[in-house]
Amino acid sequence: MSVLDVDAVSIHFGGVKALQNVSLEVGEWEIVGIIGPNGAGKTTLFNCITGFYRPTRGKVRYRGRNVSRLDVHKRAALGIGRTFQNVGLVKGATVLENLRTAQHLETEYNPWFGIAGGLNSFIEEGRITRRGRQLLALLGLSDVADTTVADLPYGMLKRVEIATVLATDPDLLLLDEPGSGMGPEEAHGLGETLLALRKQFGTSIVMIDHHVPLVTQVSDYVYCFNFGEVLAEGAPEHVRNHPEVARAYLGEEPVEGGGAEADAGTESGTAGTLPVVREEEYA
Amino acid sequence: MSTTLRRKPGKRGHAASEASTVEPRDADGADDTKALPAVAAAENGWFRPSAGGWFARAAAWVLLLWLILAVPANVLSPFDFGVSDINLAIAAVIFAIIGLSLNVLIGYAGQLSLGHQAFVGIGAFASAYVVTNLGLGFWFGVVVAAGFGAVQALALGAVSLRVTGLYFALVSLAYGTFAENSLFAVSEITGGEGGKPADRPAGFAEDQMYYFLCLAFLVLVLWLDWRLTRSKGGRALQALRENPRVAASYGIDVRRYTLLAFVVSGTFAGIGGALMAHHQQIIVPGIFDFQLALIFVVMTVVGGLRNRIGVVIGSAFFAGLGEGGGSEGGGFLERTIGLPAEFTGIVIGPFLLLIVITLLPGGIGQLIGPVKDWMLGKRFDRNAGKLKEVEVSDVRA
Amino acid sequence: MIDEIGAALVIGVLTGSVYSMVALGIVLVYRASRVFNFAQTEFGTTGLFAAFVAVELWGWHYAFGVLFGLAAAVAMGLATERLIIRPLRDSSRVTLLVGTAGVALAAIGIQFWQNNAQPIRQMPRMIEGVAGEPFGTPVTHQQVITLLVLLAVAVGLALFFRSPTGLAVQAAQQEATASELVGISVRRVSMLTWGIAAFLGGLAGVLSGPNLTFTAGFLTFGAGAALLQGFMAAVLAGMRSMPGAVLGGLVVGVVEQLGSLTLFDGVDGSRALFLFLFLLGVLLLRPQGVFVREKATV
Repeated sequence: MSVLDVDAVSIHFGGVKALQNVSLEVGEWEIVGIIGPNGAGKTTLFNCITGFYRPTRGKVRYRGRNVSRLDVHKRAALGIGRTFQNVGLVKGATVLENLRTAQHLETEYNPWFGIAGGLNSFIEEGRITRRGRQLLALLGLSDVADTTVADLPYGMLKRVEIATVLATDPDLLLLDEPGSGMGPEEAHGLGETLLALRKQFGTSIVMIDHHVPLVTQVSDYVYCFNFGEVLAEGAPEHVRNHPEVARAYLGEEPVEGGGAEADAGTESGTAGTLPVVREEEYA
Repeated sequence: MSTTLRRKPGKRGHAASEASTVEPRDADGADDTKALPAVAAAENGWFRPSAGGWFARAAAWVLLLWLILAVPANVLSPFDFGVSDINLAIAAVIFAIIGLSLNVLIGYAGQLSLGHQAFVGIGAFASAYVVTNLGLGFWFGVVVAAGFGAVQALALGAVSLRVTGLYFALVSLAYGTFAENSLFAVSEITGGEGGKPADRPAGFAEDQMYYFLCLAFLVLVLWLDWRLTRSKGGRALQALRENPRVAASYGIDVRRYTLLAFVVSGTFAGIGGALMAHHQQIIVPGIFDFQLALIFVVMTVVGGLRNRIGVVIGSAFFAGLGEGGGSEGGGFLERTIGLPAEFTGIVIGPFLLLIVITLLPGGIGQLIGPVKDWMLGKRFDRNAGKLKEVEVSDVRA
Repeated sequence: MIDEIGAALVIGVLTGSVYSMVALGIVLVYRASRVFNFAQTEFGTTGLFAAFVAVELWGWHYAFGVLFGLAAAVAMGLATERLIIRPLRDSSRVTLLVGTAGVALAAIGIQFWQNNAQPIRQMPRMIEGVAGEPFGTPVTHQQVITLLVLLAVAVGLALFFRSPTGLAVQAAQQEATASELVGISVRRVSMLTWGIAAFLGGLAGVLSGPNLTFTAGFLTFGAGAALLQGFMAAVLAGMRSMPGAVLGGLVVGVVEQLGSLTLFDGVDGSRALFLFLFLLGVLLLRPQGVFVREKATV
């Protein structure tokens, strides 16, 4: 049984067809890469999978269960974790605090007991703090544990974000441009980390990225999107050498960060070919 | 007991053997920890004050406790703390509770309430009704007040899920006006313009004793507020205030935690209202007007949003101004610009607010940040408590 | 009953014209600065106080007194823009709201202080007496003048926003950066907008004040309270449309008057209840506003 099954999903914003009949499958412990030019609908697909958008047509199944109409936080509870293109972190808090926040579902006490100061809440707080520190150590971030997120450089934030999403204990990890802002060396290191993480955490991973070498390095299977449709799919080498893929990228070098489908994780998207969906649309 | 990264291995029922390309994970999740680097306690470089430093800090604490506990009781004190002084102190403590209530809504949840006089008033009249009309005791009255405060806040919170940001501020304003003109006009409940009697509990009828009772409630509210910010609920609120999408992706139910903030705020306000009613002993509806709501907002913002101690000091300060306090300073102002003491609060207060929000976004909390950290055993740092840019501009709007 | 409803309509429209003026100011400021201006009605009370001082205490001619009041309101508006809004333009919108509330409170405080000797004042009317009694309810000349001034202001604003300066103002409100590039000073536009808004607030004050006795905070929470109603009218206008603000003010005035029908005598504070439920209904059902043209979808 596949972990994630996106079944002929279409989503329209007004007259714009952001996704058309997109099907995608992620198997157990698979790493699936998604490439494609800016505005191709990659992040929109993530928003459909995680529940920020409801598909106009089609279904999203997670471990055989139709989750198309489930709220974001309920899908998160099922084990779908994600990162955001523009870094989804609580900027006013420290890195360790972010790790604690991300363990919301792991924190096993009722919030009211937490407010009352129940003994169990203190024990649990100790436990999730230790777990948070361990995750930071795992990603080599121990030194910045007590630094406020707003004070950290962009590349490091991407790593912190991976730590936070791992803290949510996901079975399916959706990474939106984890390698943005990184050079080739760093991107390669990230690839190693992702492979190691899969081994240790046993999660399936879907990754959007523009670093084609990174995607080829780690992915078992690759989809290439263009204009809201799947242009090509298959083994990394196959997609890489696909003539259509080359054409889609022609004249458009992969651009780092931001872009037409900029996710509103931290701020609303910039102008582009896709309509900027107001944040209020998700409420 | 070891901490596990995978709390429930295989909880979603996928068999490890399915993936042949990857080494199967340990069936026992606890063993995962082995792969994790051991984490040393992050205590290196911890500042330890010198003996003199400890002494100075201890002296500061003793002074503070003396001011709060001994001076109002006229124990070990050269001052003569009179009737008006103790009433001022009681008002300060009650305002501090109300300020903390508003801080939960504005500071933590990012919801601006301009109808907080209704929250407080409902608590005040609920308790007065329970004590005077039903003949039940003060303690029962406080609980009922807290309950009513919570329930009406929950109802308004439900509205806030649909009507957000500045529009919600308008709804709260209309709600406050409605409470003032409709709810508080029902004379069976509020006793009409003459007000409703609200006796103090046995043993606390004396001003001094009532002050300590209010202080005990303030300590309780401070404890709850502190635990809120240090636990699951507070972190969820921070996440959904700064970035609701990220919060949802962590599995935080935005609605549930917004309502939680409203209930906590309403409970605190209800307690504050009950204490206010029994402080004045006859509570009149006329005081719960829009101006009071504005003063609540002003004192909380001047104190410093999300800064517990700052809010307490700011609220106490405005209680003092409002109750005709600051007569020494007032005397000076009367001589220089002809400002009588009773108008000090309403004239100076708003200007303080304007100065704070334009020059000192962290409010009083930012000012006293260094002192607070020092008293808690840290090094004196002039920049402690200074707000980061992101923290200033993250109210949901 | 018919007479009663007719009277409610007449009084509603007449009081509503004050709300419309307040709402126009709120909408203008919101378009320029994205601020919910809680000082809008205090521009009015301040103007009213100034006019009162000039006419009653200094013995000026009524017309000069009114001009002096309007000048005071505009001065307060400009000072607010310069001292509070501009330094805070990068702050959160809630901080800005609290800032304008602070301006209102400061004005109210000063009014209380300066008015201490005689807290309740009466401003004489422009023309004393009753103009007519439709449905048996007396309507003063002052109220008729208020309504006429509102209509004149509405036409004036409409003409202004079609003039080259007005178009520049609108451009600057919508696209600040682009406007700077083509040489429109956003700062001056902001000053201009706040000046106009304060002028409208001042008009609301000097026109509505004489109908009742007035106290500190008259237009904010006093007898002539128009702040909440002005905001409601602005909400009906989607915080954007000026014709919508005019219409919205009149509608809010009528809705509020319907709360005064003898039918609802048993309900305490039925007017406030009506307003609360009306606002709630509008925001829950049509948060984008009622009297506003649908914005073309981008």
